[in-house]
Amino acid sequence: MPAIVMVLIVGVLFYLGYRYYSGYLARRVYALDDSRPTPAHTMRDGVDFIPTNKHVLFGHHFTSVAGAAPIVGPAIAVFWGWGPALVWVVVGTIFAAGVHDFGAIVVSVRHKAQSIGTLTREVINTRARVLFLLIIFFLLTLVNAVFSVVISNLFVANPEAVLPILLEIPFAIAIGQYIYRTRSAALIPSLIGVVLLYASILLGQELPISLAGIAAEDGLFTERNIWVILLFVYTFIAARIPVWVLLQPRDYINSHQLFIALGVIGLGVLVGWDTIVAPMVNDQTPDNSPSWFPLLFVTIACGAISGFHSLVSSGTTSKQLDKESDARYVGYFGAIGEGALALGSILACTAGIVATTADWHAAYSDFGTASGDATSNFVNGVAHFAGNLGVPEATAVVFAAVVVISFAATTMDTGVRLQRYIVQEIAEIARIRPVARSLTLSGIIAVLIPLVLALLPGGGEDGYTFGVLWQLFGTTNQLTAGLALAVVAVWVTKSRRNPIAVLVPLVFLVVMTTWALIDNLLTFVAEGEWVLAPLDAIIFVLAVWLIVEAALALRQARSGSGTSEPVEVPES
Amino acid sequence: MSGRLRTRLLGWWRRLERGHDLLLVARWRQGLRKEARREDDTLRALLLLESLGVDNPVAYETLDVVPYLVADFHAWHRRMGRDEFGDAGVCC
Repeated sequence: MPAIVMVLIVGVLFYLGYRYYSGYLARRVYALDDSRPTPAHTMRDGVDFIPTNKHVLFGHHFTSVAGAAPIVGPAIAVFWGWGPALVWVVVGTIFAAGVHDFGAIVVSVRHKAQSIGTLTREVINTRARVLFLLIIFFLLTLVNAVFSVVISNLFVANPEAVLPILLEIPFAIAIGQYIYRTRSAALIPSLIGVVLLYASILLGQELPISLAGIAAEDGLFTERNIWVILLFVYTFIAARIPVWVLLQPRDYINSHQLFIALGVIGLGVLVGWDTIVAPMVNDQTPDNSPSWFPLLFVTIACGAISGFHSLVSSGTTSKQLDKESDARYVGYFGAIGEGALALGSILACTAGIVATTADWHAAYSDFGTASGDATSNFVNGVAHFAGNLGVPEATAVVFAAVVVISFAATTMDTGVRLQRYIVQEIAEIARIRPVARSLTLSGIIAVLIPLVLALLPGGGEDGYTFGVLWQLFGTTNQLTAGLALAVVAVWVTKSRRNPIAVLVPLVFLVVMTTWALIDNLLTFVAEGEWVLAPLDAIIFVLAVWLIVEAALALRQARSGSGTSEPVEVPES
Repeated sequence: MSGRLRTRLLGWWRRLERGHDLLLVARWRQGLRKEARREDDTLRALLLLESLGVDNPVAYETLDVVPYLVADFHAWHRRMGRDEFGDAGVCC
């Protein structure tokens, strides 16, 4: 099947989802009401709370939620064939991610634009707030671990990408200083920065940076592991300096790269008219391969449904919503944008990567190879699409690697910084004052735990551990989504409206995640994985805790007791 | 290039600049304003320690500054999640 046909079919399904299902959610489930002033108006302060045009707010929301995660998950999941991955991306986006992202904005707007963390306490109870912190702690630990491996693997596979990534730092700082010091339009300097970044790819091809000369063949100090250690040293320092010096300028350059990458994939597919060579269902998986059911639903989190979006929806987007009806466009359509990125990843790894089905089976020969090489497969696929547009293949590969590494590095920058805050907050609750008060101590803890996970054997060479860590990251991401959906479901129930549209994805997500955790736990115990097994067990306990809290809160909401907010007038 | 074409191209360029500014730069400038406000908040909290119930050893020296801070004190405590703050009539 030509890739463009898949794009058209998915495009029509996304359109129908947006046109009809989000309309149903807006009218019957969330009961949007434009006569209610939003917090952007009632609490307007010109910084956090600013009424913003919905198209502009969509741009802000989308660039905040899109990153490397919707790329890596589908790139691994096509191991089971493109059919299951595509169905989950489409169905998940329409019936779960849209409901979740849209709902998180609405429930936050109706509660003075409070964040989802605060809302778990307000809408459910104080215990749920502690649960939220613990889930976020494990989510960030796994995010930092897997993305350090993603970047390191790409550095090892593409030493030409190292120099452009290093040069991106001074370019970003220079643009940041320009925007900081002047009030004039930043389009030209931004374009110069992006052009310089991509021009440095040519320099990188002349001066590839490899650590192979100083690295050991095996053991702790392999080339990949040295990159992992260096990355954590960098993020430890980056998390200590003000966000506006480095993190925000890098994020700013990445916003440009996101639109460029989406443009390259879209145009490359259109111009190249490539055929999907991967099978719809892969029937040549080795016997010891993990089953797609239920692991598919945690392998693809971002791109189908991601709890991280609720943090953005309730953290910044809800504070800028001009009117309630805009939440439909920003939230639901934002989820569709993420689904489109996941579709791009599926296309890159099934149509762009190789020319024949036999070559595809060689690239996806077993689960470990599929996981370890997932990002490289995406990079090669995007490079092929860029090649369709006339970019030389060797340069196109480095371009795609630079894009993915930039996304992953910014996620790590943010992840380590947030992890430091979470460590301090948990230490405060547990009354461990030295950790709560020390930036250095909390920073070291935030870096050390994911570092240990990233250095586990099998992370890069055979990819198996990376694949498993990725799934554990998916489980924590889905639990965050489950908690956000529970908050939305409780609010909808308290408002005397039918919560079925929220309950179905909530129950599905919690059941699949718990099932995947049990499945993995049994495998870890059988294989004697004594680091991964306890980690899985802890996340399983959090999942059970979430189920109990959600069930209790929904029961209370149905009976009308324990409400923390006034019950709204039922819909006519 | 004719004058009309030049004016039209310039108009398109200005629109592109404005769109870019709204979509990407505004968010970044907002981050800068947030950081500046965080620093202001820290200063305000230090100067108004006594209104938070904490002894301020340099209260006498900073007393002159307080009237200048009362104006935005209201916005601050609302942002911190409290609709009202302090004794009635002092702030709101």
